[in-house]
Amino acid sequence: MLRATFPQFWAFALEHLLVLPLGAAIALIWVNVSPESYYSFTYTIAFTVNDVAMVFFFGLMTKEVVEATAPDGLLYPWRRALLPVIAAVGATTVSALIYVRVVDVLDEPALRVAWPVTFGTDIALSYFVGRLILRRELVPFVLLLAIASNALGFIAIALFNPTGELRPVAGAAIMAVAIGLALALRRARVKSFWPYVLAAGGVSWFALFRGGVHPALALVPIMPFLPHAPRDPGFFVDASPDAHDALSRFEIVWRHPAQVALFFFGLVNAGVSFHALEPGTWGLPIAVIAGKPVGILIGAGVALAAGLHLPQRVGWRELVTVGFITAIGFSVGLFLCTALLPPGQLRAETSMGDLLTLAAAPIALVSARLLRVGRG
Amino acid sequence: MTSPRRAIISTVFLLTAAGFAALLAQSAPLPNRPDSLKFAAIGDNGTGDRPQYEIAEQMTKAHATFPFDLVIMLGDNMYGRQTPADFVKKFEQPYAALLKANVMFQASLGNHDRPENVSYRPYNMNGQRYYTYARKNVRFLALDSTLMDTKQLEWVDATLGGAREDWKICYFHHPLYSDASRHGSSVDLRLLLEPIFVRNGVHVVFSGHDHVYERVKPQKGIYYFVSGAAGQLRRGNMRPSAETAASFDQDLSFMLVEVAGLEMHFQAISRSGRVVDAGVIRRPSGANPPTAR
Repeated sequence: MLRATFPQFWAFALEHLLVLPLGAAIALIWVNVSPESYYSFTYTIAFTVNDVAMVFFFGLMTKEVVEATAPDGLLYPWRRALLPVIAAVGATTVSALIYVRVVDVLDEPALRVAWPVTFGTDIALSYFVGRLILRRELVPFVLLLAIASNALGFIAIALFNPTGELRPVAGAAIMAVAIGLALALRRARVKSFWPYVLAAGGVSWFALFRGGVHPALALVPIMPFLPHAPRDPGFFVDASPDAHDALSRFEIVWRHPAQVALFFFGLVNAGVSFHALEPGTWGLPIAVIAGKPVGILIGAGVALAAGLHLPQRVGWRELVTVGFITAIGFSVGLFLCTALLPPGQLRAETSMGDLLTLAAAPIALVSARLLRVGRG
Repeated sequence: MTSPRRAIISTVFLLTAAGFAALLAQSAPLPNRPDSLKFAAIGDNGTGDRPQYEIAEQMTKAHATFPFDLVIMLGDNMYGRQTPADFVKKFEQPYAALLKANVMFQASLGNHDRPENVSYRPYNMNGQRYYTYARKNVRFLALDSTLMDTKQLEWVDATLGGAREDWKICYFHHPLYSDASRHGSSVDLRLLLEPIFVRNGVHVVFSGHDHVYERVKPQKGIYYFVSGAAGQLRRGNMRPSAETAASFDQDLSFMLVEVAGLEMHFQAISRSGRVVDAGVIRRPSGANPPTAR
């Protein structure tokens, strides 16, 4: 399930956790030194990066989730995910409610439209921080929460986009064709991932684009149809170079291009002029750092009342620390922000607020120490 | 004459001439023609505090001799709580005399305004974040710079493209050009809006957000004003640059504007009633950009 060895773990950190911050750091410096050239450049490539290249990043994220449904996987059997899903509903709801209230108190009510950004959890960073500070058996719970929160976030940006125009009928009709195509390829036992990605993925991209949903999610409904290994190799465990199943081949081919996409994603979207910031910027970090632990406790309470059970040796102290870890929005938060808000002050403040959610990592560390739920 | 002496005399002469010109400009009266369009511009006004009321009193005083029937609001029309009582305290009371005189307020919203304020009847936004209207020979576009999405940009392009009035004036909260140090220019928005404005021959743009007054030198043929000090002031916040034509950051201010045929006269007026900047923009007949004096 989480079989990465320690050297693999640090290799993972190098591969997954550096490129986006690097892009973001360059963006922050560039935009505050030469805003005109920064925006000229990033506006030119924004569509290619955000709407096309990021398709493969989310494809890889979905691949991890699809494999997790196989035996030995996090989501096998699916009932295991039920409690984290309910906890995620609690975490996202409470964070969003706090956010709406906090931006009002901070006298920037226009920011209220950005509440779906509170749903974002950076899966890779959560995994990394979780592995660093929590007992090993708690990490799957963190990942399940992150996946569920992000899934809710993707739904929220589709349904509650303040400027988007949802065309559900047209989008659903074209998506049905895309899924039918993927199903036909699976039935025909097509082993290469290319027809799935190019044909079914292409139609899916168009379906989302036409339907008013962010097309970067185009491979999310297609990846489950790709043939995969009978057992889950483990979350964030690199596919073996000699693996032959379509899902693993997809990862082998797209792993590094997706990292390039992630770098440019940081470069294009994290450029925030410090002059644009107002107190409302603090709304997002305050809401998620306060809201996620409280919401997870409430959600878990509801789940327990409904007869579900927490994993062994998981109590309220563990849940609070997990809540802090899942408050890290970073890459997914930035994506939700970009998908939701056009360029301007609201996006700048929300993007910066999302970068500030990184503060949840040291808070989680302190929480683990104080509540004695760490690895020690 | 030795060259240092010549330089000193030249400098003194130039400074005197510049000072005299500035005085002339500041006292330049508005023509106040009976058939012209007269309007006022206020930004960042809705504090409900004494300074907002004092600017409102100056507006009322100006209205007695310069009967404008329109006020364009440049956003942040209300700060803090925005309950029905706040709408009275921060809008209806300070501008009561103007409202009573049937002066119409046409608002655009800023980042401190609640989005639902588009439905507040005295703002005359008819529930729209962005909208257009024509008065005499002027086409106004009130935009929502807080959420400048693709759909709005397409609408701006189409609306300006179809406008047949002599003057095209856009107003919104975030300034495309500003030399105030707190916020400054919204370059991200400038790259989106400026090409549309240039392509469609916009003449003048009004914004707020920075709590100062600034007139920017024409940029690609377009005149930009920042008038965001009708309720709050950031004293000493201006950092004039080569692009600054005039600025004032020592007191609150508002603007009076008169469009008479192909001329647009303007004044920036402080809380004490002093004219701190004035001038006229001439729009040549045809599609050429206007020239200013």
